[in-house]
Amino acid sequence: MNLDQFKPLTVYTIYIASTPEKVWEALTSAEFSRKYFSGFAVEMEPKLGGGFIVHAPDGSEHIRGEVFEYDPPRKLTVSWNVNWPGLAEKLGTTIVTYEIEQAGEAVRLTLSQRHDRELSDDILSGGRTGWPAILSGLKSLLETGKAPHIEMAPPVRLLEALKAMGIKMP
Amino acid sequence: MDEVFKALADGSRRSLLDRLHARNGQTLNELCEGLAMTRQAVTKHLAVLEEANLITTIRHGREKLHYLNPVPIHRIGERWIRKFEQGKLAALSELKRQLENGDE
Repeated sequence: MNLDQFKPLTVYTIYIASTPEKVWEALTSAEFSRKYFSGFAVEMEPKLGGGFIVHAPDGSEHIRGEVFEYDPPRKLTVSWNVNWPGLAEKLGTTIVTYEIEQAGEAVRLTLSQRHDRELSDDILSGGRTGWPAILSGLKSLLETGKAPHIEMAPPVRLLEALKAMGIKMP
Repeated sequence: MDEVFKALADGSRRSLLDRLHARNGQTLNELCEGLAMTRQAVTKHLAVLEEANLITTIRHGREKLHYLNPVPIHRIGERWIRKFEQGKLAALSELKRQLENGDE
């Protein structure tokens, strides 16, 4: 897969008073992710070409992807495909990259979500409501030891748009 | 957080954020199109916004693209708006209790 064909459609940056190693661990381990990602468990095979899976709180497989760039603790690129029938065919593969840089005493974490086609704001609204809360929770967890519990509302706009495209939620 | 409020306290900078909200991931040229600001002024405003982490730039091929970064605004929301909401809810619930109990 040629990553250059994927254009960033959403990019977020957050500064975290922590170390690159800790941010990396928090992004790639279930123990951490459950705390800041509404109970979702990230499981990654730590190597290029390894599997990247996110389990929903009910244990179901929500996201299945693959590791495309693996440079701990600086850069991680994975495919991030939500496991709903027909979704990846209609929307194409979603690529998520985390870049971690030391910035003075803090760490600058940049997340970009890339796609190989134009997508409507309705489709992108899912990530755009979710990511700021997830990143903010990650920051709180690493800086204070706990993340506020955030009740995420269902992404109504996204679900409506998917329905209109003929994609059904399982 | 001071930087965020300072960056937002300017109409031109807010309008640049609005343009990115309407269409995320623009080049400097695209952002300058149709604006009554000089390219130099836009560059300066973008630098202030980036310093406050309200925009993020990344390279895509040969282009430098600008993205709206709502994370600091989200943090402000978490810190302030929720608290106010919680206060309102507590006040309403207290009002209900008093009215239902018939005291006062």
